[in-house]
Amino acid sequence: MSSRAVGKKVVWARRVVQAACLCLFLFLFWAAGLGEDEEASPWLRAFFDVDPLVLIATWLSAHELPAAFLFAFITLGATVLLGRVFCGWVCPLGTLHNMVSWLRTRRRRRRDAGDQWSPWQRAKYLLLVVLLVMALFGAHWIGVFDPLCLFYRSLATAVYPGAQYAVEDAATAVYQSDPHLGPLHATALTEPAYGFLRDHVFARERGAFRGAGLIFALFVGIVVLNVYRPRFWCRYVCPLGALLGLCAKRPALRLVTEGCTECGRCAMKCPAAASPDKPGHWRSTECFGCWNCIAACDQDAITFKLKSPFPAPSEAKLDLSRRAVLSAGLGGVGGVILLRQSPEAQALIYNPELIRPPGARPEREFLQRCLKCGLCMKACPTNALHPTGLEAGLEGVWTPRLVPRVGYCAYNCNLCGQVCPTEAIEPLPLKEKQAIRIGLATIDRARCLPYAYDRTCLICEEHCPVSPKAIFFVTADVQTSDGRTRQLKQPHVEPDRCTGCGICEHVCVFKDRPAIRVTSANEARHSGNRAILPGPSQFEDADVEGAPESPYGQSDGNPYQ
Amino acid sequence: MAEHTRRDFLKRTAMAGGAMALAPLGNAAAQDAPAQMCIARWKGPADAQGDVTTTMATKLTEQAVAAIGGMKRFVSQGDVVWVKPNIAWDRAPQFGANTNPDLVATLVRLCLEAGAKKVKVGDNPCNPAKKTYPNSGIEAAAKAAGAEVVYIDEKRFKDVAIKGQRLDKWLLYPEIIESDLVINCPIVKDHSIARATVCMKNYMGVAGGQRGLWHQNLALCLCDITAFMKPPMCVVDATRVMTDNGPTGGNLSDVKQLNTVAAGTDVVALEAFGAELLGLDPAKVKSAAAGQAAGLGTMDYRSLALKELEVA
Repeated sequence: MSSRAVGKKVVWARRVVQAACLCLFLFLFWAAGLGEDEEASPWLRAFFDVDPLVLIATWLSAHELPAAFLFAFITLGATVLLGRVFCGWVCPLGTLHNMVSWLRTRRRRRRDAGDQWSPWQRAKYLLLVVLLVMALFGAHWIGVFDPLCLFYRSLATAVYPGAQYAVEDAATAVYQSDPHLGPLHATALTEPAYGFLRDHVFARERGAFRGAGLIFALFVGIVVLNVYRPRFWCRYVCPLGALLGLCAKRPALRLVTEGCTECGRCAMKCPAAASPDKPGHWRSTECFGCWNCIAACDQDAITFKLKSPFPAPSEAKLDLSRRAVLSAGLGGVGGVILLRQSPEAQALIYNPELIRPPGARPEREFLQRCLKCGLCMKACPTNALHPTGLEAGLEGVWTPRLVPRVGYCAYNCNLCGQVCPTEAIEPLPLKEKQAIRIGLATIDRARCLPYAYDRTCLICEEHCPVSPKAIFFVTADVQTSDGRTRQLKQPHVEPDRCTGCGICEHVCVFKDRPAIRVTSANEARHSGNRAILPGPSQFEDADVEGAPESPYGQSDGNPYQ
Repeated sequence: MAEHTRRDFLKRTAMAGGAMALAPLGNAAAQDAPAQMCIARWKGPADAQGDVTTTMATKLTEQAVAAIGGMKRFVSQGDVVWVKPNIAWDRAPQFGANTNPDLVATLVRLCLEAGAKKVKVGDNPCNPAKKTYPNSGIEAAAKAAGAEVVYIDEKRFKDVAIKGQRLDKWLLYPEIIESDLVINCPIVKDHSIARATVCMKNYMGVAGGQRGLWHQNLALCLCDITAFMKPPMCVVDATRVMTDNGPTGGNLSDVKQLNTVAAGTDVVALEAFGAELLGLDPAKVKSAAAGQAAGLGTMDYRSLALKELEVA
């Protein structure tokens, strides 16, 4: 069989593998937080476990790794042997890029600048250096650029909820306007279709995420760039691609040329601009191992062959100047210093709106681990977890935070900790999670109905999930507008029982600015943000009715013994 | 036409035969004129832990419904019935925050046996339905009994004219209110403002939108929705009642086991009975008092044709 025929077969095999990996990625995404499962499968984070960039960066920043990450060594090993096959065969974002690039390349007959290697392809290596240096200093910004984190986050917060919104809104519009011709109602078609999508495809309440617009715009931008250069992201930006490129400096599987007429057909089909058309100058660090070039060569002049990596091949070098690498490293250091220039980042003060999911480590450790992948946001059943904007500084952008106005921490749920790939949110047993404080509720007496508007209301107390309830009533005389006095029950918060789950804020009758609000105060993970001395309130005044007797007053003595 | 007559004849014969076959098994009460209300108390054995058992909840429900005339009194052949338990909270059955699942399953079965075409079970819960439905045990029990378990779709509520004293119109769930029969089957619970919640508060589960506003005049809003729903019968779960930290509870010490089920045609009477179970004077439970004032029924349930059964 000619090498071209083999190439064509391999290309088809690759497409099948790519499709399977993309489908698996999407399936695992879809399955996260679906239905009533209270045990999350470790498979949900499988793609993050095999991502060597996540492995290395998390190890640099947190100096610790969950065992599952060792799977990433398989990826590294495969790359050392076969080159960047992860990019060409596995990466789901790469496959999406491939599909969009195809729109550009399918009819092309002539060569253009996009086929040529560009020195800008070195930018990704420098970005990798910046990010790894930042990670070394604890600023885990890998997740902003890592393709798997980026893809997952965009799906979870923007693409998937957006699709669900479109379907639901369209079907609801038809349902409400009920267009019909005589006895023929459009809803006879749309309602079953909508019901099917609702119950079996989306299969969960729709979420809407804070700041999803920016994430969506960036995602669309990254995808559209494929029209300018095929796999733009993979060629110029992707730090995972760069890491794998560094591992593929001398792969065992190498492109071998014999009898090339330099017609350039292979380069036109090369999505990586890896110069397959220049014998002796093939760039193994760029090549995705996709076999397009071989399938395109009607001279049968090129093929992949296993070769010993010793002595070093004479092919094109990576050519990163020492000066550029050093500058990038310094840039990483500068980046860390820049990110830390806020009182919040230095834990001098705490942002009241930065309520972290239950089990989140102390902020510094949390940021050393969080990938910003959005898996917790996808798994959360109440749409409570949202990508942080700047509440945690630029360093914590897109990390999860609880927005109680939109959703609350469900009492019987600890999924976020179960799914977190890096244990930035620790997997707490349910009992522990139910007791952990993530914030504190405060009543706004200028708004709360029984204080401010002479109305009975109790929704916050009614929904409070702890027993005994953290919200209790004190009956008070209030003046009504017609001058009479009536008694109303006014809610108060017992800080020792309040966990900050946020359901009170979520259900408050005020939907613009709730009259009971949860802030990060009293969160268990920071002693510095503690507002209340643990333990019950003190009855030092003997006149308080029902006060326990002071231990000091007892004849049998010294409480310190 | 002839065929219709024949089919009717066959149906009647079959029904009569069935009734005769069942008669010896049923309680003697079923053969008398149906009661307006029945309180069934368990006197039989409990399980090793003394907990509420499936047999207990099933028998209590069966006999309480039989005593008020049996399900056939309320369900016609081919009806679509909506069984409306309380499935509001993400709590396991032993915490007494949601209706007993076996009681719900029994109602489903009785409706199907009485000729209902379809029995749906659902509620507009306070916690996510994806958690409350399974964790309450109701989803599995109702499905096993042959019901269609319906998850409420937030976007399918419709503004409905209620024309009440306090509520003019409100977002209600069409699929529920368009059913031929809605069987309200609440659990008796403590509540900080309503004091006790029984049937009337359970109707909040047919409403959507900002229904929390109802608490600002809870008694009248509940009267309005109850009057709108016009319950022909309700079944009250008091196998366990929540005595403290209602309506969520979450602690076994908030729950008292009473092993009782009540069924009746007078919603206010059941409301008053539930209040008494919590040790309250029904007149102090505003929804019951307002319900009586609005002519929805009487708090004096003892004045009704009342049947008290001891079930074993």
